[in-house]
Amino acid sequence: MSAYPFGGRAAIRGTFGFGLVVLLVFTLVPAAGVFVISFTDIRGLPGIPVHWTGWENYAKFFSASKIGYNLNALRNTLIYAVASTLVINLLGLGIAVLFNQRIRGRVFYRAVVFMPTILGVTVIGLIWSLFFNPSAGPAATIWSWFGADSAFFGDPNLALALVIFVQIWSGMGVAVVIYLAGLQAIPGDLYEAAAIDGASSWKRLRLVTVPLLAPSVTANVLLSIVSSLQSYQLAYVLTGPSNPATQLLSLAIYAQAFGGSATSGLGQSQGYAATISVIQFFIVGICSLAVLTYLRRREARL
Amino acid sequence: MATSWRGNRRAALGLGMASVMAGAVACSSSGGSDQGSGSVKAPSGTLQFLVSSGDASDKAFRQVNAAFEKKYPKVTVKFSAVPNQNFSASRSSRLTAKNVDLTLAQPKEVPGYASGSAESDDSVAADGGLFVDLSNQSFLKRFQPSVMDAIRYKGKSYTVPTGLSYYTGVFYNKTLFDKYGLKIPTTWSEFQHVVATLKSKGATPLGIGGKEGWPAGLDMIAAVQSLYPSAKDKQQLTEQLWKKQVSLADGKQLEVLQRVKSLYDAAQKNFPGVSSASIPSEFAAGNFAMTVDGTWNQTTYAAAVGSKFDFGYFPLPASENAADNSTLGGKVELRMAVASNGPNKDAALAYLDFFSQPDIYKQFVKTSGFAPAEPNIPANAFLKSIAKYTSPFSPAWDTVWVPNSDAGQAAVYPFNYPAIAPMGKGSPEQAAQEAQKAWTQA
Repeated sequence: MSAYPFGGRAAIRGTFGFGLVVLLVFTLVPAAGVFVISFTDIRGLPGIPVHWTGWENYAKFFSASKIGYNLNALRNTLIYAVASTLVINLLGLGIAVLFNQRIRGRVFYRAVVFMPTILGVTVIGLIWSLFFNPSAGPAATIWSWFGADSAFFGDPNLALALVIFVQIWSGMGVAVVIYLAGLQAIPGDLYEAAAIDGASSWKRLRLVTVPLLAPSVTANVLLSIVSSLQSYQLAYVLTGPSNPATQLLSLAIYAQAFGGSATSGLGQSQGYAATISVIQFFIVGICSLAVLTYLRRREARL
Repeated sequence: MATSWRGNRRAALGLGMASVMAGAVACSSSGGSDQGSGSVKAPSGTLQFLVSSGDASDKAFRQVNAAFEKKYPKVTVKFSAVPNQNFSASRSSRLTAKNVDLTLAQPKEVPGYASGSAESDDSVAADGGLFVDLSNQSFLKRFQPSVMDAIRYKGKSYTVPTGLSYYTGVFYNKTLFDKYGLKIPTTWSEFQHVVATLKSKGATPLGIGGKEGWPAGLDMIAAVQSLYPSAKDKQQLTEQLWKKQVSLADGKQLEVLQRVKSLYDAAQKNFPGVSSASIPSEFAAGNFAMTVDGTWNQTTYAAAVGSKFDFGYFPLPASENAADNSTLGGKVELRMAVASNGPNKDAALAYLDFFSQPDIYKQFVKTSGFAPAEPNIPANAFLKSIAKYTSPFSPAWDTVWVPNSDAGQAAVYPFNYPAIAPMGKGSPEQAAQEAQKAWTQA
């Protein structure tokens, strides 16, 4: 009998080789390409001469005229990532623990929480744009009960918070599913043993559930951080591509690469957009590695 | 019943339009070959046509497309109308994929004092040979020479105009004005009086759809039109700004933003969260008495208002000098260009020839609401009513201004209207200072 599944080494080599080729062609090559074009003045039009510009795009990113805009985008991105990661994970864990109990209709509740995940960004944008329509939306009616009113997504002091809220709403389903899977993988014997030892519900949660859920926490936190640092779609559909209140680094990349507009008269600049992408790559990479290292050590401690 | 009646009315209207277009096709079939079509081959296959979307212009294009397919049964027009903010990205990807034959472009020459980073995508594309040089196409002779001169790029014609639009004016509710004894204001003080009177009567003076950002920019462009009324004034300001001879933070430049702030103060509550798409229906519902918008939307306003009340259009009087407020700023509308790498250039050229034939074009401007760019085509009653403001043609600020991509976001337009509260967080002075800083640091 062969020591390898599927009959031999060739099958494994073939399968993994194919996977490696797919990864190289669709991930690493484009990533390297983005790095290369960040040193050019390439535009999003075919047949236009492309010139090497050296570090010009990087100097432009940090130039006096651009740095204020870019720092604002970076600040918004970090607020967006930290707030949505924290809330998604705390709330997600709470909901998962609740749904893991034997409550009536829990399958239905799980479906309700997961449902926003299957909706497209445009649909989500439409739903919440209508909800927060300041003229006649339900939110305006609710505000009016308290004698208040708001421009909602048009309010520069509120827009980012509302986009984060929608991000949490739409991203909660995946977090809950991962936590539920983690909870269901915890052996029931441990809870029984803890109960026999006289552990209260709170102690069972703190001393059994949380330590054994550590891998799920790591996965969820990392997924939330990476996706929120790269997210721009919700901010785009809810508040437009150039609203300073919701300007994110990823949105700046989109606006530079594809947002040349007749309104502003500015052209597209995919070279400069690639530069922002590279800078964002390092930011996402550093944040992710730092969080991953911390969570792995925490897992080991637990 | 009402729905059924509306459905029948639409069907009747559709049949009427179809018969008009069919008649136009019949006329053009017999009479169209005398001008322009000599250089155009009989087309076949699929014609891929990409435009930025507008309710009225989409409808007008669809009518022309149907008539074109009727005349050339071997051609299928695949028409794509994408939202304005997505148009650049869509066009780039489709030009790259070589699956667009006819699209929109507006190449513009950059003056010598502006740096290379001021060149728009369309100019770079025209320089790079992405659009067909139409200079020798005889169908261009059907358009007014002054319009063709205005859109020529480096001595060549790359685009075909669809008409003219004006967008520094105010749609106003005539019935409400009459009710409160108000007259069309011709100076800023008079306009302020109108605003104060409407407020005192409990009416909201102005409607702005600020959610998308750019519609609020129309208020800025309208203010610039009065404070810099002629093309020469605007060109001079552009040059002085590029040469750093004037500041955005003082004088008339600051006044522009102060006017914008006054307009924001006259607008409906929470307007930064209101979509511009809802403005015509809210105007029709009487939620506000005026709104700054382009004449490209006049058919939309007419349809929304119906017979509820009379409405009109006047230039926003942002200056205290009435003479400076007597013109509307405008632009040459949606300019069609043929992609040189498109798979069906013959069909694209045939379409332009067909489009520009007077009978077809007449129907197009009627539906789109554009002012005609061809001679001897009658304008509609609305455009006739504003004719005294449109001659001589005065280009709007955004068609003259040359933005600098090296400058900060605050100096893009360069009047920083998005930073003024409640759209942004600052005062006109703060917004102007921010713009000046972003401009001088470039």
